[in-house]
Amino acid sequence: MTSVPEAGLQPEHRRAKRVAAVREGLASLVLCGPAVLVYVGFIVLPAILGFAYSLTDWTGWTRWPNYVGLANFRELFHDTRFLAAIRFTLFETMLLVLFFTVGAMILAVLLDRLRRLKGLIRALFFYPYILSILVSALLFQYLANYREGALNTMLRALGLGAAAQDWMGDPALVPYFIFALVAWSGLGFFSTLYLAGLQTVPNELYEAAAIDGAGPLSVFVRIQFPMLIPVITTASVLALITGVNLFSQIVVTTQGGPGYRTFTVGYYIYWLGVLNNRQGYASAVSFVTFAALVGVAALQVALLRRKAVQL
Amino acid sequence: MKQLMRLGVVGLTGLVMATALAGCAGKEDAAKTIQVTRNIGGREGFRRHFEAWKAQFEKTNPGWKMELIDLGNAEGEQFYKSRIATGDLPEVIMAWQLTNFLADGGHLVPLADEFYEKFGLPLPPPYKGKRYTSQSGVQIQGIAVNKRMWADAGVTTPPATWDDFIAALHKIKAKGHSPLVYGGREWSAHMPLFYAIATTLYDLQPDPAKPSWTKLKDAGKVSFATDPTARKVLGRMIEFLDSFVAKGALSDGYNEEQRDFYGGKGATWMMGCWIGGDIEPNKVDFEIEYWPVPSMTGRPPKFIYTSGFQNGWAITTTAKGEKLEKARAVLEAFYDPGVYQQFLNGESQFKEAQKVPVAGPTSAWLPAQKLYDSMATNLEKYGTTVGFHIGLDDMPPPSFTMTMARVMQEILSGNRDVDRLLKMMDDDWASARKGM
Repeated sequence: MTSVPEAGLQPEHRRAKRVAAVREGLASLVLCGPAVLVYVGFIVLPAILGFAYSLTDWTGWTRWPNYVGLANFRELFHDTRFLAAIRFTLFETMLLVLFFTVGAMILAVLLDRLRRLKGLIRALFFYPYILSILVSALLFQYLANYREGALNTMLRALGLGAAAQDWMGDPALVPYFIFALVAWSGLGFFSTLYLAGLQTVPNELYEAAAIDGAGPLSVFVRIQFPMLIPVITTASVLALITGVNLFSQIVVTTQGGPGYRTFTVGYYIYWLGVLNNRQGYASAVSFVTFAALVGVAALQVALLRRKAVQL
Repeated sequence: MKQLMRLGVVGLTGLVMATALAGCAGKEDAAKTIQVTRNIGGREGFRRHFEAWKAQFEKTNPGWKMELIDLGNAEGEQFYKSRIATGDLPEVIMAWQLTNFLADGGHLVPLADEFYEKFGLPLPPPYKGKRYTSQSGVQIQGIAVNKRMWADAGVTTPPATWDDFIAALHKIKAKGHSPLVYGGREWSAHMPLFYAIATTLYDLQPDPAKPSWTKLKDAGKVSFATDPTARKVLGRMIEFLDSFVAKGALSDGYNEEQRDFYGGKGATWMMGCWIGGDIEPNKVDFEIEYWPVPSMTGRPPKFIYTSGFQNGWAITTTAKGEKLEKARAVLEAFYDPGVYQQFLNGESQFKEAQKVPVAGPTSAWLPAQKLYDSMATNLEKYGTTVGFHIGLDDMPPPSFTMTMARVMQEILSGNRDVDRLLKMMDDDWASARKGM
């Protein structure tokens, strides 16, 4: 495209160009304006307000909060319950990142090799993802109930009553109960990401591998895996976000219990802000968590991008 | 491009008009409606009471409506906060444990002493010099027992001490009955610990000249971790749960407790008097007695009276302007004899409004009536203590209920570190106080 100096244009051309520019600007405003307004109103502004509240002792019951400076942030560094919530959240996140990057990728590769009932089987794996978190969590709560849950009922029916467990109440089992719930709900989505990634692998590579006599493992290690690294980047960041944001599943099932054993950072923020009326302090916890999450996600993306294969 | 812009303009205009029309619709109705929050859920007795209340208000205030906002099993906290944010709190609200927050936020309208005098209601302790809530009935908390199972173990009168209580439960267990219904999953898990703390750490009759345990704790003079009685209470709770609560209790909540007890599958239920209102709807066909809380420290057994101050089952108004008069009319309609009787029946509470010509709760279902009679007799015989419900400015943080439930969950989960359990209570108390 060549550019024509403005001075060289006829006046009517210049006017036409200006009108076109104004029209384009107006069109952009009409098309993007509502989305920008919604984004600013519901994301940017609350985030700014959240930080502002973190400098107050607002309880949520009064119209105006009191400014307390950095007191909430100072308290945060001595808060053992926050540390416990971080530990539990990190444990769950680690399991989820591992499962959604490795497990979902293996499942996707296997699903990609299916020759029969491909669509149906993929749909079955995807199905839990379309259920609301509330439904999934209630379903798992029912499954895990000690007396009447499906798991223990099945064990008892098989004569294995002694193996019946309080899946949600036993502190040794409950972290895996939460993991199982989230993993079951999200597996379909993450495997779909990988399946989409696998569709971008050029057929020529498979043909060349076949000519070279490469087996399935070799194809996976030398072709599919390197080609999936950008998807792994995306999946691991999304899995990290899923893990760090664990909240709804906790509220519906364990409510942080038994005792304080399943307090995630998200639930702790809710517990502080809503159940203990400490909106100001809860905002400080939110802000620190948000900043840490942004940092970790940026690091993760930077590390994985280096390994991405360029075609 | 032009078409796109036209489409955008038409769309926006349509949206604005639709919003405006939606805003107009029902505006007249809203101006003549008093919204009232209530926690009815699936409880038939509560529904009957609300319908009678609404009918009475609408009959005596023609042209006005009373609209129910049913909060089910929730206690309003989140709902009220969101309505505060949008500036449209309902005009009449149940206060639960939120009165001081609502009052401090400037959302409540005080009631004049004449209101209480009109119905013969005792004046509740003022909060910062004002009274906001219209007291309902006498709500007590004690122990419901399956009379047949306890008699089978040879116990027919309330145990006076905690030792007697434990010994009796062992006897019931030895007879092959399940001695206790107890669920650890939700709020009801706190009941045994609440009973123990309320009747041991606090004076049975608070002395206004002497600071309560709450006041001492807030002043930093006592704590759970350093109080030997609190340590003893925790020890007893561990023994209690170990002896009488079966594996899997953490899967159960209030509904399972109720189902087991009303299904005749457990001998004892440590639960508030409101359970009486569910006897008839659940067609419970055996005799239940209601006993006071035994003492851990040699004091006489007592029921815990939880409705005497401006919290718990109490209603209040947030109305301003011309709606205030009608909101007060809603509060007054509550004490119409027919309405009040339905309230006492549904909640299984006793009469607090002395000038309203009704007796206590009544039921045509014999086991329910027998339970009411047992409650009334034992209430008269053993009396009450307010425990830690002394006043809005003299009680533990409202979230302490859930703290106690969580500590019980910790014990059920195998935590036997009493120091850590006591510290959890101290930490939660301190954190919650910062939100007040």
